[in-house]
Amino acid sequence: MGKTVIEVNDVTMRFRMNNDRIMSLKEFVTTAVRGKLEYNEFTALDHVSFTVKQGETLGLIGRNGAGKSTMLKVISGILKPTEGTVRTEGNIVPMLELGSGFDMDLTGRENIFLNGAILGYSEEYLKAQYEEILAFSELGQFIEVPIRNYSSGMLARLAFSVAAMVQPEILIVDEILSVGDAAFQEKSRARMMELMGGGTTVLFVSHNMDQIREMCDKVIWLEQGRVKMAGTAKMVCDAYAL
Amino acid sequence: MEKQQSTEINLKKTIVTAIVGYVCLVVLVYFLMGYQLHFRASRGDLEQPAAETGTVELVQGTVVEQTFSAKIQRLQSVSVQWGTYYRSNSGTVTMELINQIDGSVVMSQSFAATEIAEGGLTTMTAEEPIETVYDAPLLLRLYADSQPGSAVSPMMCLTAPEPEEDATPFALMLNGTPTEGELCFSAAGEDYIWTGLHYWEFAAGFGAVLALAAVLIWHRYKKGKHSYVVNALIAVRKYRFLIRQLVDRDFKTKYKRSVLGVFWSFLNPLLTMAVQYVVFSSLFRFDVPYYPAYLIIGIVFFNFFSESTSLALGSIIGNAGLITKVYVPKYIYPLTRVLSSLVNLVISLIPLLLVTLVSGLMPTKAYFLVPFALVCLAVFSLGIGLLLSALMVFFRDIQFLWGVLSMIWMYLTPIFYPVSILPKSVAWVLDVNPLYYFITFARTCFIDGISPEPVIYAQCMMMALITLLIGALVFRKTQDRFVLYL
Repeated sequence: MGKTVIEVNDVTMRFRMNNDRIMSLKEFVTTAVRGKLEYNEFTALDHVSFTVKQGETLGLIGRNGAGKSTMLKVISGILKPTEGTVRTEGNIVPMLELGSGFDMDLTGRENIFLNGAILGYSEEYLKAQYEEILAFSELGQFIEVPIRNYSSGMLARLAFSVAAMVQPEILIVDEILSVGDAAFQEKSRARMMELMGGGTTVLFVSHNMDQIREMCDKVIWLEQGRVKMAGTAKMVCDAYAL
Repeated sequence: MEKQQSTEINLKKTIVTAIVGYVCLVVLVYFLMGYQLHFRASRGDLEQPAAETGTVELVQGTVVEQTFSAKIQRLQSVSVQWGTYYRSNSGTVTMELINQIDGSVVMSQSFAATEIAEGGLTTMTAEEPIETVYDAPLLLRLYADSQPGSAVSPMMCLTAPEPEEDATPFALMLNGTPTEGELCFSAAGEDYIWTGLHYWEFAAGFGAVLALAAVLIWHRYKKGKHSYVVNALIAVRKYRFLIRQLVDRDFKTKYKRSVLGVFWSFLNPLLTMAVQYVVFSSLFRFDVPYYPAYLIIGIVFFNFFSESTSLALGSIIGNAGLITKVYVPKYIYPLTRVLSSLVNLVISLIPLLLVTLVSGLMPTKAYFLVPFALVCLAVFSLGIGLLLSALMVFFRDIQFLWGVLSMIWMYLTPIFYPVSILPKSVAWVLDVNPLYYFITFARTCFIDGISPEPVIYAQCMMMALITLLIGALVFRKTQDRFVLYL
């Protein structure tokens, strides 16, 4: 296996939560004056360390609230860890949920470029890949129509095509997209497998143990923000299933 | 082909471009500012007091004398106000300006009394500005050859002005008799501008600092260390495409479902101007020269400010879906909102220019200085936008507060009213209102057709940069916590 592309070093993530979230200046002032401004600390990640090598597929499993999604956000740079460091190499592309980053008033084509730019791809690259993205999405002539007229299946196909047709170095998948009709689902699964086989590093969060066993090389089991177990997919999944 | 946006930059080329650009800019500004770079209306000009009564009937043998001194480096003109007793007069009146130190006559001019109207002025103008009378004791002498019954009378006010500290008080003498009060006269001229006199030294000095900085950056870059400047350049290169896409998006969606489309950017300031013109020129009767042009400059500038800041205000909240999922430097969102408003602003310059032309203003080279005001305005708005968008994340009621604040701000900016109607007690607000400076800058260029004095440039630039700095600091300090509140 190749070099280390993700290095998570003793990461702790703590949130300060108001008892009820204060969202206005007035509330802030009145509660502060009454001396009721108190915070509850909540530790989402507790001294987590691991590394991922190039081309590996790492699965994150655990119960709801174990810190899986927080871990992904810390790795992609959206959240800054309270303690510890994360070092990554190469661009990180998250598999976006339906519609985020899309503008409903723009056409499918304009959205491909907008979304591609948000994901950090260059204009030349997107132009070169455009035909392929279009072909994969099976949208055909609808690509020139504002996407507010799309069905949810069409939207999901567009989203998946943009995220997966370009070759990210690190792909982040928070629950695999099962979108479109059966044929498209099969096609997207095949594409995922192809990406994972082709040198892309994948971080994969799922509650579906079959998918995890099938796709991952390594699995980390998080419980209440700590690494409960780390190892090969079979070993961790067997332990988790008990 | 590069898959990602390149993070490589050609530093050498950037530095060379920057230096060449600087030199061009220095020469261009020298040429465009022209006369106004060297001289400004003197701060020592003497205002004419309001007339309260006549002095004496200025018949042959009568002399009215007024002593004064003025801190005017280049004296150009002296005026006197006259009363005619509401009759037609005859004869000639003569104005003489005498330097009391050596008794020499520095200016003298005669006027036909028939030409003088009630309350009218006679102005004697020097052929060449007089540079020898700065703060010197001067004597203004008026005499005539008219006969009683057909002579004019210079006007006066009854109370002499408070003399400035350690200055000789002005004295009025009628036929040699000292009299309480002051002649209704004014003196005007221009001063040298120190910065203008040393323009090339300044330009060279600043250029040297730039060159030194370039050398330092280059040196660090060679050693593999990345300074702020290099990092900023890389970021610009890396996110250029994204910024363009987002600005494109804002612009396309703004008029997506309107019939007239982009034409609205054009029409909007024109319509606002038309309405305000009708309201304020017939109802309130503001007497401002070239009022339509005066109005539309204010409207276009303030519209940009209010549009860009209110768009930037919601930029972080509005893109919450992206911010919580993809890492993109967050300043991009307010920045693109301000940039798309800027596109709008540039479009609305077309109706602005149309209005100035229709008002009868001829374009001058000063028009090319307007972009400076636009850049300052944009930088200022960006600073406010960054500040607001950050605060908005934590306190959602900022949006309502800002609606009220920007309305107050609008009324405190002379958009549709002349500065002169403000009472003294409120006038100080203008001194601390950056928008007033930007708008005044543009009005000087468009309406007066000349460059503002150099100090205005410095004030505009400082206000814009300080605001940006404050906005950027607040944004930077809080941006890591945005995600937690979205």
